[in-house]
Amino acid sequence: MRFQYVLSEITTGLRRNLTMTIALVIVVAISIAMLGAGLLIRSQADTTKGYWYDRIEISVFMCNEYSTGAGCADGAVTDAQRDVIRQTLESHPEVDEVFYENQEQAFERFSEQFDDSDIGGIITPDQLPESFRVALQDPEEYDGVVSAVSGLPGVQEVTDQRQLLEPLFRTLDGFQLVAFAITVIQIVAAVLLIGNTIRLAAFNRRRETGIMRLVGASNFYIQLPFILEAAIAGLLGSVLGVIALFAGVELIVGRFIAPNLQFTSWVDSADVWAATPWLLVAGVLFSMLASFITLRRYLRV
Amino acid sequence: MILFDNVSKLYPTQNQAALDSLSLEIEKGEFVFLVGPSGSGKSTFLRLTLREEKPTAGRIRVAGKDLHRLSNWKVPHLRRRIGTVFQDFRLLPNKTVFENIAFALQVIGKPRRQINRDVPAVLELVGLDGKEDRLPDQLSGGEQQRVAVARAFVNRPLILLADEPTGNLDPGTSVGIMKLLDRINRTGTTVVMATHDQSIVDQMRKRVIELEHGKLVRDQSRGVYGYTR
Repeated sequence: MRFQYVLSEITTGLRRNLTMTIALVIVVAISIAMLGAGLLIRSQADTTKGYWYDRIEISVFMCNEYSTGAGCADGAVTDAQRDVIRQTLESHPEVDEVFYENQEQAFERFSEQFDDSDIGGIITPDQLPESFRVALQDPEEYDGVVSAVSGLPGVQEVTDQRQLLEPLFRTLDGFQLVAFAITVIQIVAAVLLIGNTIRLAAFNRRRETGIMRLVGASNFYIQLPFILEAAIAGLLGSVLGVIALFAGVELIVGRFIAPNLQFTSWVDSADVWAATPWLLVAGVLFSMLASFITLRRYLRV
Repeated sequence: MILFDNVSKLYPTQNQAALDSLSLEIEKGEFVFLVGPSGSGKSTFLRLTLREEKPTAGRIRVAGKDLHRLSNWKVPHLRRRIGTVFQDFRLLPNKTVFENIAFALQVIGKPRRQINRDVPAVLELVGLDGKEDRLPDQLSGGEQQRVAVARAFVNRPLILLADEPTGNLDPGTSVGIMKLLDRINRTGTTVVMATHDQSIVDQMRKRVIELEHGKLVRDQSRGVYGYTR
């Protein structure tokens, strides 16, 4: 294999199709940036879920003197009712741990949360509900526990923190779906563009390839410059796409989202670094594959 | 060296067969003229020999290889044993004489040492020593065709196929090319030349194979062009 020949073929090929090469680089860059964005959103969703699922719990609020509602017809919860609720929770297979919080403790927590507001002064412990805080073995399986206790007498309300987080996860899932959909569309465009670029390059060099076929150059040798050409364009595009991804994470997440929304840890450039090798390999392999398939059609033996 | 056994070739877009049950054998070291009107099947014969096409029916053997059983990836190796010359020279315009010939060796992976040895030798054989740095458009038609012959022969093929090599040349220049092909033939290389050039065929007195409508109509040793024109 004569390295110099291959190298000069590639550079003249890329120069001759400069506009097509630029278009190809841009399309690959967008594909890779979108693919990377999709991957980052997915890992963001995973870390957010991991972060929250460790802290997630179900709160079973019990009736106090002032409660209204179906379960509280008899006024404040009685000791017997409380025992039944505790037993129901502790015997449930999905329940990991149960903590009891009485009205005094609820008041302390309340006072901490509303430390600087006047509201702390007008609320008294007996106005707050006592509650069970329930940690689950599998945070996904909250339905069974909620329905097991919500009908019991003395239970005012059962709240599930997961329900509060559901919209966030849905939003992340939606972003991810959009990013992958754009990736797919861009990949289709990239395939067509690579096909056209290679077809044009093959046409430009038909004289050379014709002679090469005639004197018995192997297919591999004839196709190599074209495939490497696509690989270089793919690499350039992937690098640009990764740079765009770094910029996007730095500007959107680093400057805007992470400082303002601190309820979870956010993706940062370390996550982009982790994805970079895969994105580069994907961009290069993909371009080579697309050109190889095109060549099979346009550079016949 | 070349054996056609009952070979037919039908192109999908044409009703008439390009070759119709053609059987012929060309021995090693022969010089053969392939004559016949346009569309008689001469080019198809050459394309089948190079395995640019596969026959619709029949068996072809070239240089000891059964083309029917030759897998695609081995075709380049067959072509390395066949040199080919065309009417339109097919030189690379941006490469010098030397580079044009060296290209044929480069692309089959020959080492630089061998290229630097074989290219000057073949240039001397075709009578172009001293012109290795010229570009093709600085050469006359006859000289360009010599470059093409040199490129076809530099790898010392067993067979040289020539498709109307004198078609673009004046009679005097054609004679020079024919002498060159004759010299190559005397090194033991089998030469098959498709031509319309009556005077050349008549002068050379070699074996003549005449095709018409894809059929063999004449196979004559030491023949002449014929009576059709």
